[in-house]
Amino acid sequence: MGNIEELKGMIDFKNGHIDRRIFWEDWIYQLELEKLFAKSWLFVAHESQVKNTGDFITTYMGQDNVIVTRHKDGAIHVFTNSCTHRGNRICFADRGTARQFTCNYHGWAFGTNGDLLGMHEEDHYKGHIDKSKNGLQNARVETYKGLVFACFDDEAPRLEEFLGDFRWYLDIILDQTEEGTEFLGGSIRNMYNANWKFGAENFIGDSLHVGWTHASGAKAVSMGHEVPEYMPVDPSSFHANANGHGWEGGIDGVGTLELVSSGNPRLVQYFEEQRQSMAKRLGDLRARKIYGSVISATVFPNFSFLPGINTMRTWLPKGPRQFELRAWTMVNKNMPDDIREIVQNACAMTFSPSGIFEMDDGENWENSTIANEGFVTRKQHLHYGLRVGTSRRDDPELPGNISRPMYSDVNQLAFYQRWIDFLTAESWDDIPKVR
Amino acid sequence: MTTTNTQQTDIENMLLWHQVNQFYNQEARALDEEDYATWFTMLAEDVHYWMPSRESLFRKDETPDETGNMNHYNESLPSLQLRVARLHSGAAWAEDPRTRYRHLVTNLEVELGDNEGEVKVRSNTLVYRNRLEREEYWLLAKREDVLRITDNSFKVAKRKITPDFSSLLSKNLNVFL
Repeated sequence: MGNIEELKGMIDFKNGHIDRRIFWEDWIYQLELEKLFAKSWLFVAHESQVKNTGDFITTYMGQDNVIVTRHKDGAIHVFTNSCTHRGNRICFADRGTARQFTCNYHGWAFGTNGDLLGMHEEDHYKGHIDKSKNGLQNARVETYKGLVFACFDDEAPRLEEFLGDFRWYLDIILDQTEEGTEFLGGSIRNMYNANWKFGAENFIGDSLHVGWTHASGAKAVSMGHEVPEYMPVDPSSFHANANGHGWEGGIDGVGTLELVSSGNPRLVQYFEEQRQSMAKRLGDLRARKIYGSVISATVFPNFSFLPGINTMRTWLPKGPRQFELRAWTMVNKNMPDDIREIVQNACAMTFSPSGIFEMDDGENWENSTIANEGFVTRKQHLHYGLRVGTSRRDDPELPGNISRPMYSDVNQLAFYQRWIDFLTAESWDDIPKVR
Repeated sequence: MTTTNTQQTDIENMLLWHQVNQFYNQEARALDEEDYATWFTMLAEDVHYWMPSRESLFRKDETPDETGNMNHYNESLPSLQLRVARLHSGAAWAEDPRTRYRHLVTNLEVELGDNEGEVKVRSNTLVYRNRLEREEYWLLAKREDVLRITDNSFKVAKRKITPDFSSLLSKNLNVFL
């Protein structure tokens, strides 16, 4: 068993060393559930998934299964999916529409706001229960431009403050058009025998794995031609992080769009039109230079996305050595049907379990996790020291902490700084408001 | 006379079933052996190879098809070739050592297709994957095919694969069904 002091020593921010036990130990994982997932804002859904009254999806906050649903007053509610009588799950569908959720065990029924409405043979309960005190536990719910976040801690700051400077980056995908965004139907889910943080840290800043892990995918796309330099060795490419959220990418404006549209003139034309209207909303830097580049990003702790590829995903922990990846494709509401189909197919072709890029990631994450079963192996620290300490907050163009070029461990360490902030804090009072 | 016709039809149906079964066995062997050059000759130029994802829904919310879902595969012949090009790129580190594959195809139901020269086939498939020391994955799915009859065999013109999982219980889908 370990303790907080021991945990504090596991990440050496000065030298960029990380103790492998953070990817392995059960006690650290239990701390993550208590001090991170039960305290942090977490992405749970897109508003479009619960458009109408009674629409719901089920998902996880940490390992707490929750129902995300639209109540008749129009508000989105997020509450625990576990009956207050014997604890049975009350909703077993991944998504759907419901007027209420009724437990299979004894017929206790809950409203789309989590209130206990009644139960089978209710007469027996007269004088024995205060229904108003036996509803399901609601989380706080706030949205940011279509994305729904929930939080189980009343002390947490507002979502906007939690996202902080990172909103400037989120707007690049969320605020391209007046109409906003939506998720395409359904989701893709798959299981990894790996620690969830490997997914989150890969998307927050791992530019260097792209050219190597994904060499096979890049070569396939080039179809015998010389492999294009999708990751520009561009000194102006950057890592940006704020409050533990991070974005890494170039400013060439074309890398990802070339990949998605490969040879499809209809799509190239669409993206160019898109960029013009986008520039009016977001300015040239974001619309013409950043958007379209090869980019990946993570909203702390476990929500990641690829602008341009349009995959949005959560790394849902299932223990220290297992997680489920749930992925959706996000599009602008005004996107024409034929473009949607191309974007959806491009997403499946590149970043899905069968995708020619994503397919190679799981092998790395699983074996980076399982190797730590070796007692001696586990004692050797890992190197996260590339360009450590090079980020600056005073960039004239980009908000947050900026480091250039993007080939570094800067964002990864910022992620683990936030992770340590949460795991060692007694309450939100101990967690820096701005990182 | 009638009896003879019936017998004749029965024999023709048995022969067709046998030929389809033979075709599927050859296809399974090609996939087991990563012999994609052979596999591509078994697909029509205009093949639609489709594997939608599935979710757990209340029965009342079920829809008759999966067209509104995200897809594991929604492929043409060129896009299947692109996927295989990754494996043959010489840089697919995660496929070396190789995954051991075994495809079983069973429960064939063969009937004449809607168009001349086509047959419709339903089958079940069981795909086993074994990798490195302890990795073992089973995939089960329904397949609904339209096969086009050629001079001495068939080509797959359409394939819809309906998997029996909602969450894929493995890190990737490095296999065709």
